[in-house]
Amino acid sequence: MLPITDGITLPDRDILRVKDDYLRDVLGGFAYLVLDGAMGTMLQRRGLQAGELPELLCLTNPNEITAIHREYVEAGSHAVTTNTFGANARKLAGAASVDEVFAAAIDCARASGARYVAADIGPTGALLEPMGTLPFDDAYDLFAEQVRAADAHGADLIIIETMTDLLEVKAAVLAAKENSDLPIFATMTFDESGRTFLGTDPVTAATVLSRLGVQALGVNCSLGPEALEPIVRAMLEVSACPVIVQANAGLPQIVDGETVYSVTPEAYLQALRPMIRAGVSILGGCCGTNPDYIRLEAQEVADYVPYRMPVAPRYVLTSAQRTVELRGREVAVIGERINPTGKKKLKAALREGDYDYVLGEAIAQAEAGADLLDVNAGLPEIDESAVLRELVKRIQGVTALPLQIDSADPVAVESAVRVYAGKPLVNSVNGKAESLREVLPIVAHYGCAVVGLTLDEDGIPPTAEERFAIAEKIVSAAAEYEIMPEDVYIDCLVMSASTNQDEIPEILRAVTMVKERLGCRTVLGVSNVSFGLPARPVVNATFLAAAFAAGLDLPILNPLADRYREVVDTWRVLCGQDVAAKAYIENYANYQASSVPTMMNHRGDNSSSAEKMMNNTRGDSSSELFALVVAGNKGPVPAAVEALLSRVDAMEVINGHLIPALDDVGERFERGTFFLPQLMASAEAAKAGFDVIRAHAGGGDEGKGPIALATVKGDIHDIGKNIVRMLLENYGYKVYDLGRDVDPQAVVDAALAHACKIVGLSALMTTTVKAMEETIRLLREQAPDVKVMVGGAVLTQEYADMIGADFYAKDAAESARYAGEVIS
Amino acid sequence: MRYRVDESEALRYMGYADQELDSTLASRIRELFGRCEQMSSPGWMYRVFSLSEDGEGLRLDGTTLVLTGNDIRSHLEGARECAVMAATLGLANERELRRVSLLNGLDGMIFDAASSALVETVADACNAAIVAEAHARGLHAKWRFSPGYGDLPLGLQAEIVRVLAADKQLGVTATDTDMLIPAKSVTAFVGLFDMPQDTERTCAHCSFAPYCDLRRKGTQCYR
Repeated sequence: MLPITDGITLPDRDILRVKDDYLRDVLGGFAYLVLDGAMGTMLQRRGLQAGELPELLCLTNPNEITAIHREYVEAGSHAVTTNTFGANARKLAGAASVDEVFAAAIDCARASGARYVAADIGPTGALLEPMGTLPFDDAYDLFAEQVRAADAHGADLIIIETMTDLLEVKAAVLAAKENSDLPIFATMTFDESGRTFLGTDPVTAATVLSRLGVQALGVNCSLGPEALEPIVRAMLEVSACPVIVQANAGLPQIVDGETVYSVTPEAYLQALRPMIRAGVSILGGCCGTNPDYIRLEAQEVADYVPYRMPVAPRYVLTSAQRTVELRGREVAVIGERINPTGKKKLKAALREGDYDYVLGEAIAQAEAGADLLDVNAGLPEIDESAVLRELVKRIQGVTALPLQIDSADPVAVESAVRVYAGKPLVNSVNGKAESLREVLPIVAHYGCAVVGLTLDEDGIPPTAEERFAIAEKIVSAAAEYEIMPEDVYIDCLVMSASTNQDEIPEILRAVTMVKERLGCRTVLGVSNVSFGLPARPVVNATFLAAAFAAGLDLPILNPLADRYREVVDTWRVLCGQDVAAKAYIENYANYQASSVPTMMNHRGDNSSSAEKMMNNTRGDSSSELFALVVAGNKGPVPAAVEALLSRVDAMEVINGHLIPALDDVGERFERGTFFLPQLMASAEAAKAGFDVIRAHAGGGDEGKGPIALATVKGDIHDIGKNIVRMLLENYGYKVYDLGRDVDPQAVVDAALAHACKIVGLSALMTTTVKAMEETIRLLREQAPDVKVMVGGAVLTQEYADMIGADFYAKDAAESARYAGEVIS
Repeated sequence: MRYRVDESEALRYMGYADQELDSTLASRIRELFGRCEQMSSPGWMYRVFSLSEDGEGLRLDGTTLVLTGNDIRSHLEGARECAVMAATLGLANERELRRVSLLNGLDGMIFDAASSALVETVADACNAAIVAEAHARGLHAKWRFSPGYGDLPLGLQAEIVRVLAADKQLGVTATDTDMLIPAKSVTAFVGLFDMPQDTERTCAHCSFAPYCDLRRKGTQCYR
């Protein structure tokens, strides 16, 4: 479901259903709200068994639950939290329906006489993709069912709590926003490192949640109140809405088999006071607290009105683990390489669903110093919306850099930002009425920032004034959707100096005007400037420096290019971002200026080392390459192959040197004189050789096979499969790696789509061999010509026969041998 | 808490049996061991429960856990109490394992082996704390027994997570197919007895022993 682009009517959250004026004041930050304390601790004290579903007590012992709520109300809680923390369909597992548990729980809470009933929603209990196996949409559905039940049975607000995964909170918040018009509170839990288990820091959490439009956010559970103070202060600095604190009564300790908490009610309040003074206006307790804690809190804030410093506008973009903030004149680099335009390899990877290649590009740019990554999947022949969503989902699993989600198609944008755990930058909206109408609602609903292109129905205007006028129009249109100027990044659109020379100074002037007059930050795709000119890196670098001086904040460029990096690094010294030039001095202390562009330098290096190799190994190259591969020494391999290719043809290098070396290594492995890492190091060395040969052949060589590999549904172990993939690739096979936890039908579809000769399946656990059997059954039905080989820790020849596999590979080397038999 | 990778153990996971190692590979392995230590955030926890037998199986009192299967019952026969433990390297390790594997298959394999060894060390640390607590109370611990050993079902993982609240305390969750995430996590039962017990695991009571390839090669699946 994509509510915005599908045009679904959502609850009107501009007019929240707020129970009374006091709660309205609370949401505005003008009044304190006292929540309750622990439910679980109280129930354990009354004999709840560890592992039991406490939510079922709402049905079986409603009086007992009401009695606990009532104790809190008598102690001074304005709101009590329903006993529904784990009441989702996954955790209840059929023991009761979500709807009946919420109905009973809300009745129990209501019966306590509490002024407000807060419907409690805890984590699903499963980890979401990509780190876990629960799909985002499934998590959303679990939460939506809870929200609908809470709303239908008369809750006054929804509290999403004890979350550690920002993506999971986002699923819950969206479920709440899209299925109810009740106020939403959301809290996360942090450990001693000051982050959640999934690595989210409090600033990032508060930034994302407040931009998503929750009515209050904060921290619960986690640690004792004292340890929470820095986390809470960080949230107060960036949160636009009221901040909640519900601490534990210290860290749990087991004494005589009982969980006990060491912080007394008095000490708890003592630790809370500085946070209340700093502006926390919604308080309560978590594990280990009881009505005595709440009584003191209620007394503390009675008759007072909260006060808090207003939050200043911030220019921030985030992933789930990192916030990139532009302070003053600081600049940040957006890596441009995940964009198929003009990139043959990336196009092929996107077409074939080879996501690992794209993830490699993401990691490489991160290591080269990019601050954000552009992600674009705009290829006419693919389902852009599905691919962009998949890319965004996976990239956030391997890098903490915030993403710029880049598409001209609003459907693709919405499907991608929906599953992104941070506050992304949407690229882009422009001055056309249609674009503003389609894109801005998505940006607003999903809590994004947006790039505004200075073009409209009449195209890109030539002068700075006209570009500025469009920027101004975009900013005011955004404001209508409550997207503030600090979340609009204007792109004044770089033209080529060879075709639009007059416009270059205008572009720079427009950048300055936008920054000075609109309060926006700016973005530019730098390399457009050099189209049609020689020595493009030099032109790009010069323009980049000029653009920085004009006020550019976010250049979109290739972070792997040295020239760019030099300009960025030096500008950061000049604008004061690199304080005392510390990073610059570290990186450039031994800098040697070169008179030739870097790319040419590389070529020079290669040929000279190849020559060196020729000289060293003249007359004996064959054994040299053979020896390098056997030794697993990949460094000199490309030069050795180059040298050979100057004398013999590619087939001779493969069949006379690389394959014999791999066979020799295989034998050593079989005999036990080599162990697995040595086998793999050799394979890696051989691959370096195959790569050179492939480059010479001009990329026409697709490889033998093809072969599809997958770890079966339900299984998350992929190390064995990865080893097999590596070996097969290094024997020259084309491998489609479908990943782990792969649905049986998806394996069949891939086998058919790529006309695979072999499908390799891996399973590590006894519980997932069933999925392997199912996959084989489907393959037999729909792709009867495909050979199936299986492997994995629990498998044996007998097992493989039983589930109908063609071949059992007891190790990676055997899978390569089998592939050789089937595919000659 | 920080722990070190047991190098010989990690090498053993990679099939190392005194092969000659050149220095390039050796230093690559050592570097990845270091990275594994650096990129993990180990944690462990346990709780001790008394045991009682009823018609269904062996019950851990005050919990929903009932242990079925012959192997765990004979393992815990005569035990007074049982500790339930969980140990993990955390999601930072999981994420880095993913990243390293993506960049280079060999590095991924080495990092994986290092992580497997490290989580065993973390589990050892937890186990040691159980032994110490038992000792202080005049009890003796036996070697730890995990779901999946013998006929103790893997299906217990989710319930162990629930009983320990290991999701809240350690960030460990179980999938619907009974795997733990982070993958480098261990759960186990440690029986506490009045009399001294075997503290080392052996193949003696393993039902797979007659068919075991590892045993044929003179090694074993535990240390």
